[in-house]
Amino acid sequence: MTTYIGLEVHVQLNTRTKIFCGCPNLFGAPQNRNVCPICLGYPGVLPALNQEALDKSFLTAMALNCTINKRTFFARKNYFYPDLPKNYQISQFGTPIGREGFLELQLAKGPRRINIIEIHLEEDAGKMIHSGDWSLVDYNRSGTPLLEIVTAPDLRSGAEAELLLQQLRQTVRYLGVSDGNMEEGSLRCDANISMGESLPDYKIEIKNINSSRFVRQALEYETRRQMRALEQRTPLRQETRLWNENRDLTEIMRSKEEADDYRYFPEPDLPTFYADDGYLEKIRGAIPELPALRRQRLMEQYELEGPIATQLCATRELAELFEAVVGEGVEATLAARWLFGDVRKELNHRSLSLTDGPLNAQRLAQILLPLQRGELHIKLAKQLLQALFDEGRDPQEIMQDERWRPLSREKLRTIIEGVLQAHPDIVHSIQEGQRKALGFLMGQVMKRCEGRCDPQESQELVREMVGVDESQ
Amino acid sequence: MGGWKSSLRGNQREQIIEYIHASNATLGALIEVDIAQGLALQRRYHQGDKEAKAGVESLVGVPLAIKDNIAVEGFQLSCGSRILEKLRAPYSATAVLRLLQAGALAVAKCNLDEFGMGSDSQHSYYGPVKNPWNEDYVPGGSSGGSAVAVAAGMVPLALGSDTGGSVRQPAAFCGIYGLKPTYGVISRFGLVAYASSLDTIGILAEDIALLRCSFQAMRGPDSFDQTTVKGPTKVAQPHDPATCHIGYLAEPEGLEKPVALEYQRSVEALQGLGYTTRAITLPYLRYISPAYYTIATAEASANLARYDGIRYGYQPADAESAEELTRRARSEGLGDEVQLRILLGNYVLREGFQDRYYLRAQYIRKMLRHKMELLFRGIQALLLPVFPSPPFRRGKEGMSDFQQKQADSYTSLANLTGQPALALPVAMHGDLPLGVQLMGREHSEELLMDIALRYRRHYSPSRPPRYPGVIA
Repeated sequence: MTTYIGLEVHVQLNTRTKIFCGCPNLFGAPQNRNVCPICLGYPGVLPALNQEALDKSFLTAMALNCTINKRTFFARKNYFYPDLPKNYQISQFGTPIGREGFLELQLAKGPRRINIIEIHLEEDAGKMIHSGDWSLVDYNRSGTPLLEIVTAPDLRSGAEAELLLQQLRQTVRYLGVSDGNMEEGSLRCDANISMGESLPDYKIEIKNINSSRFVRQALEYETRRQMRALEQRTPLRQETRLWNENRDLTEIMRSKEEADDYRYFPEPDLPTFYADDGYLEKIRGAIPELPALRRQRLMEQYELEGPIATQLCATRELAELFEAVVGEGVEATLAARWLFGDVRKELNHRSLSLTDGPLNAQRLAQILLPLQRGELHIKLAKQLLQALFDEGRDPQEIMQDERWRPLSREKLRTIIEGVLQAHPDIVHSIQEGQRKALGFLMGQVMKRCEGRCDPQESQELVREMVGVDESQ
Repeated sequence: MGGWKSSLRGNQREQIIEYIHASNATLGALIEVDIAQGLALQRRYHQGDKEAKAGVESLVGVPLAIKDNIAVEGFQLSCGSRILEKLRAPYSATAVLRLLQAGALAVAKCNLDEFGMGSDSQHSYYGPVKNPWNEDYVPGGSSGGSAVAVAAGMVPLALGSDTGGSVRQPAAFCGIYGLKPTYGVISRFGLVAYASSLDTIGILAEDIALLRCSFQAMRGPDSFDQTTVKGPTKVAQPHDPATCHIGYLAEPEGLEKPVALEYQRSVEALQGLGYTTRAITLPYLRYISPAYYTIATAEASANLARYDGIRYGYQPADAESAEELTRRARSEGLGDEVQLRILLGNYVLREGFQDRYYLRAQYIRKMLRHKMELLFRGIQALLLPVFPSPPFRRGKEGMSDFQQKQADSYTSLANLTGQPALALPVAMHGDLPLGVQLMGREHSEELLMDIALRYRRHYSPSRPPRYPGVIA
């Protein structure tokens, strides 16, 4: 018995303006703020396709290894719903931006190819809000460019579907075409699932899956349900079900007989778009190095272990920062350790993302390079990172401040005296000729100074105060 | 035309306004008159004479009436329908804006068949329009209000829309000129869509010079309508009748006697004016009307879906659900003819039936285009009847809605091919005018207007005796 799962993933493109009008494409504005006669479907308005949406669609289709439709046009998908201002959705039918692509699913046992049937561009609808006796509609989202990615039924479990979704999110973020944020609805998905010895002729569509965790849960629930039905020889038929996230189960929404006839026909308000070779080459040139390849390269170039490289490639920003820091001369493992450790801690603590704080590669290198050369104590380095986030200044500049300056000779002498008094035995053994023990004293001194002393100077002073000189 | 220029600012102002209201009370041509709003728009948008194109006669101060399915900011936009009863346009159509920028004065909105669906201007929520030559007769439609406003001397210039003959047929029925331009030459942004791939904004005027300069002011690409085209940039040379070949039908089908007779006479008149005429046969005449109604209703079924009572327009009170709200708004707000065409459109677009209807109609359209292109290799213009009958009676003694649809073949041809056509008055039949139309190659509007201008040497139309107007 094989489980066949295919996903229909909707990705909101992060274009500056909406797909067919000049309204800002922003999440989180007050209701019905980012609207105009065009995205409200007033009489007489026409759509004008946003070139940026087309560019980003082609970019995504190419990055997902699709065959590109050089000649592409739009179609009207007709259905009535209050959140759809024109009561038809401008979508694509027959000439999607791309088709027959694939994505390598990075499974623990190695990558497996998941085929992509097609990628097409369409407009998003508004949102219905039910409140007491009222149904309200917010049209801010109406006309947001939406890319629909349809995979083949190549996934075998809810866990694989969840992983695919995570990888797609990572990919669209790398491409810079979407923030891929499921909580804000920038990435949504419907799933098709069926079970059989071979691909059966029915499929069950699950809608309303709002997080990658729910995708797994809904599909695992549906696997169990269908398995049970097959065991009991209850026939399964084509239907659409809704995931109920409060009850952790799927519920029937409509059967095949009730399915809509969308009466697709070519959109007469938009011309056919022709992508010439020059344009496509330009777009192809803009594809960045994608996570899987980058991971491979990082492992080879910096001799990193797999899990570390995977973590570094989680986002394009992290991978880029890592490489830039290493480019400044910082050792790769040290840079990685700091990025996963203290840097992440500071960011989480301040609810910052990697790019919207004061951090950059040069600044991080100003901390890590002296640390790596032994000129900066680890404790001081950590404090310096905090100060960098607090003050938003270069660490080099911060270190000029009084409180970061090396201790005075007098202060240093007091500290050394304290150390010597605390370890009379060791002082004695050194005086007896056990020179190696000097290192222990030095360590104690450095610790008490919290790194605020010159190691060379301290060592000389310790020798002097213990009463052993250089030549001996 | 000269007399019109400052008519609404000069000392004849009150007299004109009085004439408009008095004649409109009988004719029902205008459904909103707001001269103050027109003056306000002119002050806001008129760019001054210095920006007027060289060689183009000025439109400054020329009163303009606009079919009520074209948006003019601050004016109503009812489309002759109850469902848009209270709607005020929040923006202006590009074509209107360009006329305002050239100094025209938008003063009124014209009555029409609801959403442009009809050929007699008797299908309006605002009541019927009467023919100023004989009030018992229809003025034609659907731009009947625009044609009557011009023919009765209320305004010298009006905009209409022509999807299957809706500018040319009322122009012919009222004894004025009516131009349907090449598809895409005048922006459709702001024209309430009936059938997007066939719709054009057209011009109705009693004067060729005014027709010409308003066409020149409106034409050209618009970023709000991506189906607009640039057209030829070269200024058309004055034509030489001796080398201008005009085709005509040796045996025009289905014409009533007086129409056939005047059609034949107009061929002879063209010969008398020095043109070379050539008898041709029109290909696929009997397929035109079925193909036209299949495509038009298919597109209309989607275009009119947005009128759901949610965001604007007629809203029935106390609906229990969004579905009930929409069902009642549409059942109560849309007229019978409109509902019929929406149903037809849904029928031809059904899944599994597109081959038989919609796709076959598109195939016929393609063949027609091809055949007409071939035909126009041998001729520069084609003389055609407009409508198979003279203006018919209002009410039951007139033509049925079905007869009217069958009678659209000669006009809807140009909409299916996208080519321009100009209706011109050629004779009187009793107390009612008769017209013919000149069809041409794409972008041959200037030539068609030149021929019509020359035709005035043979026949020059006048005003209806009962509606002489204030300005000659």
